[in-house]
Amino acid sequence: MLSGMTAGAELTLDQLAGDAAVERLYRQVFAVLARESGAMISDVELLDVDEAILDAFADAGRDGLTVDQAVAACRPIDPGLVHRRFEVLRDYAAISKVVDRPNERYHRAAFAPYVMLLFLRRMAEQGGQAELHQLLTLEHVGVTASDAVPETGRTSINRLTRIFRHLGNELAILAAGSTAEQLGDHAQLLWGNQTLIGQAEDVHAVALDRWPQLDGECAALRVALAAYGDAVEKAAGRLIERAGTTRALGLLSVESWLSFARTASEDDLAGVLDSFVFDAPAPWFSPTLVTEAVESGRSSSTVRQPPPRPESATAPPPPDITPVDDAARLRQTAELLLRGADAVCVAAVLDDADDWLAARRALADLTAIHHHPDLEYELTWSDGLRIDIGGSASWVSDGSFRRTPPETSAA
Amino acid sequence: MTDDDTALWWARYRAGGPQRVAPASAYPAGMTRLIEPDAGAVWLLPELPPGARPDVLDELGLPGVAVDQRGDTARVLAACLRCCWTEPSGPIWPAAPAPFDQVLAVFRAVTGSRDERALHAAVMGALRRLAGAGWVLFDEDTRTVRLGPRVAAWSAAELSTLRELWRSLPLPPPTTGSGSPSAPRAAEEPAATDRETYE
Repeated sequence: MLSGMTAGAELTLDQLAGDAAVERLYRQVFAVLARESGAMISDVELLDVDEAILDAFADAGRDGLTVDQAVAACRPIDPGLVHRRFEVLRDYAAISKVVDRPNERYHRAAFAPYVMLLFLRRMAEQGGQAELHQLLTLEHVGVTASDAVPETGRTSINRLTRIFRHLGNELAILAAGSTAEQLGDHAQLLWGNQTLIGQAEDVHAVALDRWPQLDGECAALRVALAAYGDAVEKAAGRLIERAGTTRALGLLSVESWLSFARTASEDDLAGVLDSFVFDAPAPWFSPTLVTEAVESGRSSSTVRQPPPRPESATAPPPPDITPVDDAARLRQTAELLLRGADAVCVAAVLDDADDWLAARRALADLTAIHHHPDLEYELTWSDGLRIDIGGSASWVSDGSFRRTPPETSAA
Repeated sequence: MTDDDTALWWARYRAGGPQRVAPASAYPAGMTRLIEPDAGAVWLLPELPPGARPDVLDELGLPGVAVDQRGDTARVLAACLRCCWTEPSGPIWPAAPAPFDQVLAVFRAVTGSRDERALHAAVMGALRRLAGAGWVLFDEDTRTVRLGPRVAAWSAAELSTLRELWRSLPLPPPTTGSGSPSAPRAAEEPAATDRETYE
């Protein structure tokens, strides 16, 4: 008794092998969804890589493929990525060595992952609706089979009950607390539900007819179906209400709208805007506006005004900017300094000045006279140096200022 | 006329502007009937209370319906007023038709020097825009312009402003050739009496 409850100990080798086979299949099936051991993929592109690898194995025939061949067969895909996916698939035994020995290079692929892949794709595209229909058809076949026993019917009914509870719960939660956009994303739960419910009722009717002892299970199924129907009504009502007031075009995909627009009749298309009134795009012209427009039209037709200029734009520039030729003044200064002599010592000129400021001015005049091209005077410096500690110019280079008549400069 | 019909007429006006109907047809409450000069048709124009007129948008500082070349369009409307409203002491509807060239001349005088082709294009474009909104009726085949039913929406105070404008605008040149506005007075007389209001 005790050992029976704690399972395990009583399991035979066959049972263990069976469990191991089921577990292996699970691992294989979910290999395509594995990012690495123990984690799910987060990127749908990886599914494409998986599919490419499995396709390559399908094309390879019974010899199998080496890793490099598989990489080559998946050519446009990044080889590193293919390598990594290959390793993941091998970890989950979706790909295994043809012969299990250390140096085996050829691998073979199990078929279960590929079936899972196809299933996933269909689920992604159609939201599992078609799978549900097929499942219900299978259940129907199952319960109507001549060799079916009450236990078959019971498991069938229980399965259906759970499925519809799941569907109904999800929808009811969505309808109660999500935005219309979220609801629209899950709209596939709403579509085709009448046939789903109808199919389930068929199964229910067959099972109840054949095995009246299952009425408890059948009642549970009826409740689940009714709950699902209610949830659908509620969600659809909410969706229609929201879509009707906001005309939220995002509730259906762009392609759905396009298909409707392409295939609908004129009346259908016109019906879309039946309840709409568009304001006529009529601009309003108030008399003030018209008057202003006329006045601005007049002013814009007048002669263009030149840009404003300063008041005295035409006045001559200030005189102190114009260059002055002060040759006359300089000549006068030079004659004054020379006092009729031909040359004068610079030191003497500076001594004649009252202070350093005047001396400095005299020195500047001498330099200007020297540099003036029209004046025949020159300033020459030599090596001597006069030092006078007490003087206003404490040292003066030995220099002389003299006139340079044209004939002497030529000589 | 039931409430539904009345609502439908208002909706038609909102969607399509002033409605042109047969003279004998029923019309809803709160709409002015503007009879065409030849009495061949009637325009239905709603009488809006002062607080619900389009110029309320201006008072509220809200943008109204945008119109291309707003300034030129308004100037062309002014030119049409000058040409068609031959008797500004009287009502503005139905004014006399005026040839396109007359409107063009007034517009040219208002806007000053402009390339002749650009001038023509501006007037033509503005007339089409105004005709689309019901401010003028523009017959492109005969190239004649009339004031549209919407001008009757201007209130008495607004009309006095427009009379000031009318006086300030240059005189249109005398019509030449087969222009039709030779009988403005004939059109004017029935206008005053034809204008009825359903209270």
